[in-house]
Amino acid sequence: MPAHSPQCLTLELPPDVAYLPTAASAAENAAQVFGLDRNGTLKLSLAVEEFFAYLCRFAGREEPLRLTLSQGGTFVRVAFRFRAGDVSLRALNFAAQVDLASGPDSLSDQAAELGLLVASRTTDRCSMESSGSGVYVLTAEVDRQYPEAAPLCTPQFLIPPISVSRPEDGPLAKGLLQHAALLAAERYPVRACPASFFRPERFADMVTAGQYQALLAQDATGKPAGLLCWRASGPKSVVFSGPYVFDAAPDRVLAKETARLLAERFLSAVARTEAVCAFSERPTSDVPEGWFESLGSLTLRGEDGEGESPQAALFRHLREDVGGAVWCHPDLTPFLERQYNLLAFSRDILKAEPTQTHHTTEHSLLATSLDRRRGLAILRPLLDGQDFATNLAAHVSALKEQAQEGPPPDILLHLDLSEPWQAALYPAIRGCGFEPRLILPHAGASDLLVCQHVTAHS
Amino acid sequence: MSLPIAELVPPHIRAFEAYVPSRPDAELMRTYKVDHLHRLNNNENALGPPPAARRVLESFEPPSAAAYPSGDCFFLRQTLGERFGKDPERFLVGNGSCEVIASVIKAFCDKGDNIITADKTFAVYEWVAEFSGFQARLIPLRNQGFDSEAMLRAMNGRTKILFVCNPNNPTGTWWKRDEMERFLRGVAGRAIVVLDEAYREYVDDEDFPDGMEIMERHKNVVVFRTFSKMYALAGLRVGYVCGQKDAVDYIRRTHIVYSVNSLGQPAAAAALLDDAEHIRSTQAMVAEAKALLLPAFDELGLPYVCGAGNFAMVQTPASDSLIYRQLMRRGVMVRTMTGFRFPNWIRVSLVQQPVMRDFLSAFRDVVDLVRQGGAA
Ligand SMILES: Cc1ncc(COP(=O)(O)O)c(C=O)c1O
Repeated sequence: MPAHSPQCLTLELPPDVAYLPTAASAAENAAQVFGLDRNGTLKLSLAVEEFFAYLCRFAGREEPLRLTLSQGGTFVRVAFRFRAGDVSLRALNFAAQVDLASGPDSLSDQAAELGLLVASRTTDRCSMESSGSGVYVLTAEVDRQYPEAAPLCTPQFLIPPISVSRPEDGPLAKGLLQHAALLAAERYPVRACPASFFRPERFADMVTAGQYQALLAQDATGKPAGLLCWRASGPKSVVFSGPYVFDAAPDRVLAKETARLLAERFLSAVARTEAVCAFSERPTSDVPEGWFESLGSLTLRGEDGEGESPQAALFRHLREDVGGAVWCHPDLTPFLERQYNLLAFSRDILKAEPTQTHHTTEHSLLATSLDRRRGLAILRPLLDGQDFATNLAAHVSALKEQAQEGPPPDILLHLDLSEPWQAALYPAIRGCGFEPRLILPHAGASDLLVCQHVTAHS
Repeated sequence: MSLPIAELVPPHIRAFEAYVPSRPDAELMRTYKVDHLHRLNNNENALGPPPAARRVLESFEPPSAAAYPSGDCFFLRQTLGERFGKDPERFLVGNGSCEVIASVIKAFCDKGDNIITADKTFAVYEWVAEFSGFQARLIPLRNQGFDSEAMLRAMNGRTKILFVCNPNNPTGTWWKRDEMERFLRGVAGRAIVVLDEAYREYVDDEDFPDGMEIMERHKNVVVFRTFSKMYALAGLRVGYVCGQKDAVDYIRRTHIVYSVNSLGQPAAAAALLDDAEHIRSTQAMVAEAKALLLPAFDELGLPYVCGAGNFAMVQTPASDSLIYRQLMRRGVMVRTMTGFRFPNWIRVSLVQQPVMRDFLSAFRDVVDLVRQGGAA
């Protein structure tokens, strides 16, 4: 949690293009104050202009559009809150191809969608959330730019005792965090590291802004000895990376001790918070034994695209499990029952049939996050729609095409089983070549199902 | 997008985790698909209340539930006064001692103040302080016990209360007379010292520093006691604070009247009247349970911590929450210790032999399963 109150600007604007300059200049001004460079400022104001123009045309007219611009530490966020009206947000799909040549829509509608598409592509992340009763929030984020730095390969020979602390605000702690991130980036596979370790200043800023929490281990002389970091994932869980340990002594006694201290301090830090469980989709080989449970594993091709290797996922509850309910399509029931039984989890499995949900809209919406360095893409359904199956297939091919020369990324899809409409999508997901792999307990509003795209492998 | 209601809530409340009590037994049994459940998670006294208290409960006339209880527990305080040889005005009774914790913090802490306690102890001191917006300075345990010197070092001009859980839940450690004396001399009356003696009746040792006697020499000491543990009245929620009259008067100003019900007040008073035999048999039950469990933990090669009180902590070969789920599937409910900052430990209440044997057999199963890699 950031100590200082977040910087934030809110405007309520009538849905009328006459106010476009107001929205755009607010965005420009905020972008500069919140620390974006010229290019970032341009991206943000372009996105605001395009979103605003689009929403003026299609959003409900009974309420003003609420525009919020906020500083997120390493990024600037714009959020539009609006009532649905006739909005189609198809163009926000990563794979969206607005077809200017055909279709029943008028040319100007398509041009409007094209603007939306451009806006969503120029920002770094875009997402949509429905807050019920026809109210939606459209957000886009533009990252501040940070220089990339080379990982540090100097071996560390450390002097006990090791101590572990939460880095405080200030340049000294920031320097230590950056140093530790670069040491980790050198010693661990790229897949086991947050992308920000390669832009260490960004990592340190994320910690200062509370996007990441971190624990830093230091030896008797104050040298960085290890690192573990985590962030919230959904309202009820934290996802951690690490532990990363730096001692180079071949007996690994101090390294193991550091890893244990980091794990113990991590659990103490999160034990009395809102989080119900902690998990990691990229634990390092230094996770101390017996502290976390295995959720199973994914088969990932790895960053160089050569050879598949299992990537274990670990987790633990921070409290006693009181059970819960999840939605599930009947085709998925055997998998869920097997997994829950293996994990000794008690869940009521509720039946979600596609017929029970109403495909009210034509176009579905998927969120895509693509980490090129790690060769990993994650898809999440944001809005249901009649075109879900084709849309998903289009995403898969777009992701493969994106890779161009390099190997295609591993593609995962996260389903939140607290949403019956998401659970009901399962047959379509299966039909697209995805297989269920893991359950991440409490990682969404309830448990998340992780599916992996597999047909590309064979 | 946060709801407008969240904007009404001060930041320390928004950041605060609401305590999630465990679900009712029937619901848990359905969830875990078992037909019985041994509750070994709350340090309850499985023998049930002493005979005189039972008689009070049995003779309760339903029509009298229509009348409000005594707002300040008049007769119960009379009984407490006689029992401890003190003015009844020096007692303040609450809806469990948990309520009294809140009243004490409200009475003494102001914006910017802090309280001091241990990191690995009963969580309510820390919770109440934090959701009231006061800093809780948490001092690591030393040899599983409260570290008196480190607590003294952590004091500053804004320290208002030091909470000492004596004996400590969950480690069962306690300060002897000389350590308590040194600590209180160190505090030198600069702050209130709360001695939480929830498990006091489980200690039968000359060297235990009895808070009721100490407060006569150290005027800044207040003592918490409860009827939930030894007296087996947890369901009726009765606990109290006792201290110097002026301190208790201030605490009373922040305390809700009528918070203790009409059944709890006379049952608690009656429990005090014939407790000698009850305490003896409870202590015997606990001793027998220890004699059964502790050697079994040794045999399993699992470290344990067990001192005063009707509970033992044992380290588990896997995450405590996995052990919990596996034990629940076998009809045994224990307390996971991650929330007490003892990850990979569980705490189990010490009760009658047949239940202890059931626990042990389920626990052995689960430990075997985990060691063979068969559990998750
Ligand atoms: C140390 C300690 N103090 C106080 C309490 C609370 O007891 P009561 O039921 O009186 O609120 C407990 C109960 O677990 C406890 O362990």
